[in-house]
Amino acid sequence: MHPVVAIICSDTISSLGICSLLKENFNADVSVIPTEHQQMQLDSILLTDFDFIIVDEVVMIQNLSSLLPHRNKVILITSTETKLRLEFAYISRHSSTESIVATLGKIFKSVSKKSVRNNGLSSREIEVLKLVAAGKINKEIASELNISINTVLTHRKNLTAKLGIKSVSGLSFYALMNGYIKP
Amino acid sequence: MLPIISAETKLSQIIIEDPSVLSVLNRFGISLGVGDLTIEQICNKKDLNTTFFTTILNTFRDPNFFPEKTLYSFRAHLIVDYLKKTNQSYIQFQLPNIERHLSLLISKSDSTGSNLLIIMNFFREVKAELMQRIYDDDNRWFPEILALEQQCDTVPDSPLSTHGIDTQDAIEDKVNDLISMFVIHLKGDYDMNLGQAVLLALDSIKKDIVQNNRIRLRILLPLYQALITNS
Repeated sequence: MHPVVAIICSDTISSLGICSLLKENFNADVSVIPTEHQQMQLDSILLTDFDFIIVDEVVMIQNLSSLLPHRNKVILITSTETKLRLEFAYISRHSSTESIVATLGKIFKSVSKKSVRNNGLSSREIEVLKLVAAGKINKEIASELNISINTVLTHRKNLTAKLGIKSVSGLSFYALMNGYIKP
Repeated sequence: MLPIISAETKLSQIIIEDPSVLSVLNRFGISLGVGDLTIEQICNKKDLNTTFFTTILNTFRDPNFFPEKTLYSFRAHLIVDYLKKTNQSYIQFQLPNIERHLSLLISKSDSTGSNLLIIMNFFREVKAELMQRIYDDDNRWFPEILALEQQCDTVPDSPLSTHGIDTQDAIEDKVNDLISMFVIHLKGDYDMNLGQAVLLALDSIKKDIVQNNRIRLRILLPLYQALITNS
């Protein structure tokens, strides 16, 4: 896997350092986003095909609500024992190069396994999943997506078959786990 | 289909073949060190109803074994008493066991890329739902059944048909989903022994809940409805 990564950091040195490390060790396709454009570009970055977005704590705190639903693709650069470490994958600013490379390797590996599984879900199934997780009943989902109730039922059956998850709660936690909905 | 347990079967043999029956035996006050006694001998020693005991053991071991006629012949308080003990084992042993192993798994695992915290939150939701059901059983449903049974001197002769009653409920679905999350969707590096321990603990409670639901919904519910009709 050659990860496609966006870096948004408040200091240029960190951005360039991580950029170089990613290119050398993972042959990554990296875009460094200037922070003056961060506010404007973050939403479109989150919706595009970047496999990962690396941010520092300053950017994280400014954009926490936007980043939380995409926790599966966000990597935090941190120098403190912040609680954010429980929510996001992170690399420690003061670690050795070897340790940072090893951590990034682990993150890329775990998410790459997940994306293979997610490929099993069609975009329509993901839309249905999000609405189920939002607490909508079949009739409301049908109306919102402009499809028949039978089609909704088919999508739900497919979700259960592909994910092994049947209950609304289970599907909601799955959606949360994979960044399809906000906590 | 597993061979049916009879009153002449040695209890030690059943435990050796399937140690998970121990959770059921504990509810009847039987613990390890059962000696070489048959079920009938142990039931006599412990003053247990042998037919009820073997029926419960058989329904636990084999999902296809469900002798509705035999189960209908038992008085409701016997079934309520067993289900109460089952509920107590969830509260005292099974739920804390899962939670303890899951907490240990989280504390010993690398949090990088892990989704264990979200799985823990899902477990807590399932636990809360099960605790609410137990609360309702203890404070509403079971006392009502026992009161109705006291008013009715004889066993109701015509429990309502169980045809069409779905024996699978929301809690059972959610426990299945928890197991799927572990088996299919677990991410990150984790302690394999603890992961296996959580999975086994979840599988154990699932097996129990499946049996519990069949007894609740296919036996106790029709008995309850018949008691209401007869009262």
